[in-house]
Amino acid sequence: MTEYFKPVTPIWCPGCGDFGVLAALKKALSELKIPPHETVIVGGIGCSGHIHNDLLVYGYHALHGRLLTTATAIKLANPKLTVIAAGGDGDGYAIGGNHFIHALRRNPSIVYIVMNNGTYGLTKGQPSPTAQVGYEGTQEIPFEPVLTALSIRSSTFVARGFSGNQPQLVYLFKEALNHANSLKGFAFVDVLSPCVTYNDTYAVWRKAVVDVNADKNYDYTDRKKAFETALSIIESGGIPTGLLYKGESKSFEQMMLHDSTPMALQNLSPEQNLEKYKQLLTRFK
Amino acid sequence: MSLTYEESKVVKVSPKAVNDIKVMVGGQGGDGTLTVISLLARCFKEIGLYTYDSRNVLSRIRGGHADGVLRASTREILSVGDDLDVLVAFDEEAVAVARNLLVNDAVVIYDSSRGPLRKELLPAGVSLYEAKMGEIAGTELKKTLLKNTISFAILCRVLGVKDEIAQKVVRMRYQRKGGEVLEGNLKALEIGFRLADELGVATHYALPVSEPLDRIQIIGDEAIAFGFIVGGGRFYAGYPITPASEILEYLQANLPKFGGVAIQAEDEISAINMALGASLAGVRAMVATSGPGQDLMTEGVGQAAEAELPLVIVEVQRAGPSTGMPTKHEQSDVNHVVFGGHGDFPRIVIAPADATDCFYMTIDALNLAEKYQLPVFILIDQALAQNTQTVPEFDLTKVKIDRGKLLTQEQLNALPVYKRYEFTEDGVSARTIPGMPNGFFQVTGNEHNEWGFVSTDPVNRTKIMRKRMIKLEVAKADLPRGRVYGDQSARVGFISFGSNVGAVLEAMEQLKSRGITTKFLLLRTIYPLITEEVSDFLESVDVAFVVECNLTGQLRGLIRREVGYADKLIGINKFDGTSFRPKEITEQVVSRLNALSR
Repeated sequence: MTEYFKPVTPIWCPGCGDFGVLAALKKALSELKIPPHETVIVGGIGCSGHIHNDLLVYGYHALHGRLLTTATAIKLANPKLTVIAAGGDGDGYAIGGNHFIHALRRNPSIVYIVMNNGTYGLTKGQPSPTAQVGYEGTQEIPFEPVLTALSIRSSTFVARGFSGNQPQLVYLFKEALNHANSLKGFAFVDVLSPCVTYNDTYAVWRKAVVDVNADKNYDYTDRKKAFETALSIIESGGIPTGLLYKGESKSFEQMMLHDSTPMALQNLSPEQNLEKYKQLLTRFK
Repeated sequence: MSLTYEESKVVKVSPKAVNDIKVMVGGQGGDGTLTVISLLARCFKEIGLYTYDSRNVLSRIRGGHADGVLRASTREILSVGDDLDVLVAFDEEAVAVARNLLVNDAVVIYDSSRGPLRKELLPAGVSLYEAKMGEIAGTELKKTLLKNTISFAILCRVLGVKDEIAQKVVRMRYQRKGGEVLEGNLKALEIGFRLADELGVATHYALPVSEPLDRIQIIGDEAIAFGFIVGGGRFYAGYPITPASEILEYLQANLPKFGGVAIQAEDEISAINMALGASLAGVRAMVATSGPGQDLMTEGVGQAAEAELPLVIVEVQRAGPSTGMPTKHEQSDVNHVVFGGHGDFPRIVIAPADATDCFYMTIDALNLAEKYQLPVFILIDQALAQNTQTVPEFDLTKVKIDRGKLLTQEQLNALPVYKRYEFTEDGVSARTIPGMPNGFFQVTGNEHNEWGFVSTDPVNRTKIMRKRMIKLEVAKADLPRGRVYGDQSARVGFISFGSNVGAVLEAMEQLKSRGITTKFLLLRTIYPLITEEVSDFLESVDVAFVVECNLTGQLRGLIRREVGYADKLIGINKFDGTSFRPKEITEQVVSRLNALSR
């Protein structure tokens, strides 16, 4: 059998929240029996973006902030693949913020995991768009990714986990993978994943998290309620977590693909399509 | 019913036999000037003539001066030529724009709806036909815009194009729209013929008539887009930008028929990263843009090179810098595509010169990108991208697809070890695609080792930088060669690229008639320059005029840097937003040669 690369040990600091994300993701993938060779992880730039090196999958290290556009195209190229984009909050909400909005709008069936710690760890602790007011002197009001996701009418899966709560995180990842792999659209999971070196928020976050699913009456199919619940938790100083919203909207593959053979597996030899190509030429005659 | 039209000067002429004719249709944007041009182009094709047209529009939806120039000839042409034989003008501004280009016995057809043309605007000897075309279209057809079809009818009479051919062409164009549109245009045509009769419009030209040409009329953008499909391209992403949008539009309309997709991304950064994702997954992918979009894409070009992902980038040059003149012609992104991006990395830049090249070289680009796993630029310019040319039908049986070292599952299974970035003699490593059992890879824009894991080890760094760069040396044998035209023994040379080819070839004829023989190296690979072909050419001449549409002589600078011969290179540069006319090149050569011999 062909020998291939062996996953490496993460580069993260001891105690980094990203270990919890990796553990939960491994568990979710294995419990759902998703074949590793049919899985692509697109990592961003930043500490969290190394995650694709630490699992046996097809890995791609994208340009800073460009995870979602890359991952969207991989999914279109071959919808049979499990496509996971995984990066940080600077990558996803600052430099990649534009693509975040448009991914929500397009609704491609991929999983997007943001390891959110409010800081730029690799460049030594600058505030990110989700940094708390006062961190490194920032006066800017933090970006609320779940509210943004809920506000885009074609979003179909909005969740938030906490790397300090493994059972919830494994549940959310499994739900997200199932959502994407049944081609229902974009499964967005923001994960509170503290940076122990520059912005150790474990204690604060542990107190602030509110699991919306703990309330058995919470209806995650009601977008209006989901927004209202999330906003009121935030306004009272808490952090909403759990499966906040799950809905239906046409996926990007449904919009764009009309052929059963994935683009990536097509036979490209010109003879296959010669008559159809000739047909196109007649317009210019 | 009585018609209102200005009393025109009725000219008695006998048709002049010509093999070449140049017509301008000018007015305000939205007047339908380009419609008249394309109807006429179709007529010429029906009578066996080759055509070439160019457009001059402003970057706005309506209004502002707009014109189109159509040239027809008994031979293949790739320039609008030096002057104008016929002008259709919907306003005085169009006359002002064209008057200095009119030949002595030119014909002007003028829409006098807003009053007759001030006669002092026209040079003596020019025949004028004026009629209130817009007003008549408004009254009789309730649609002022149909003035363009009325003018087309009069134009056909001037040019000696038979009424039946004009009718046939109008039917062909509007058949699909059918109903009112077709009826309206046919009626407008009849009105035009009637006006021509009443004005006593003479047949001024006798063009040779033969069988309809068995050729295609196509613009460069469409030839590239079609070539992309035939070359197995299935994933395209772009952002609307003049003058590359036609590629996006063509592919959005046609790629889905072949199981592919063309996506309008949120910006060019998104577009190029989408294309990289599709490429990673095993799809032939392309993006197209113009200068400002290329600025945004440049980081992605480096990523393609570092991650060794095949990618084709079409760069349609327009007048820069910054937003510049979006609809205007220029060739000032040579440095941008050759040198743009941080770090040292391999890239290929090829430059088609006509629509035929655009088709075949797009397929070359796809093959080169996949064979050498690097970014390949197709560098064209506004004129080549948007001017319609008559070219031989593309030979689809000639198309070959080479996917390089893309492994099949069987080939992969036969390998004891699979390393995505394995060191090899030609610098190219075998490639798998996600979904293949045991073909796992790590692909990254970080510096990496053979496995694709991040590495800053100095020994590995040195080796892998060389591995990527060596691909350019190996690829040289596969790069499109230049074409040499003219007199082998000439001591005066031209070097140029892109859409300049037509003007340079005609300038060579003009120079020949003045006793100056020349030859011409048309470059079709810009980077890496095929140094032997350039130095061989430069060895054989005393002086070489490097013709390019930019201020600083970017191609000339590249030749000087890569090949030398600085003392033989003279720049002929134009950067006013229009492409070269043959005469402009001829005059510069003559005056430069005179200065040299003094």
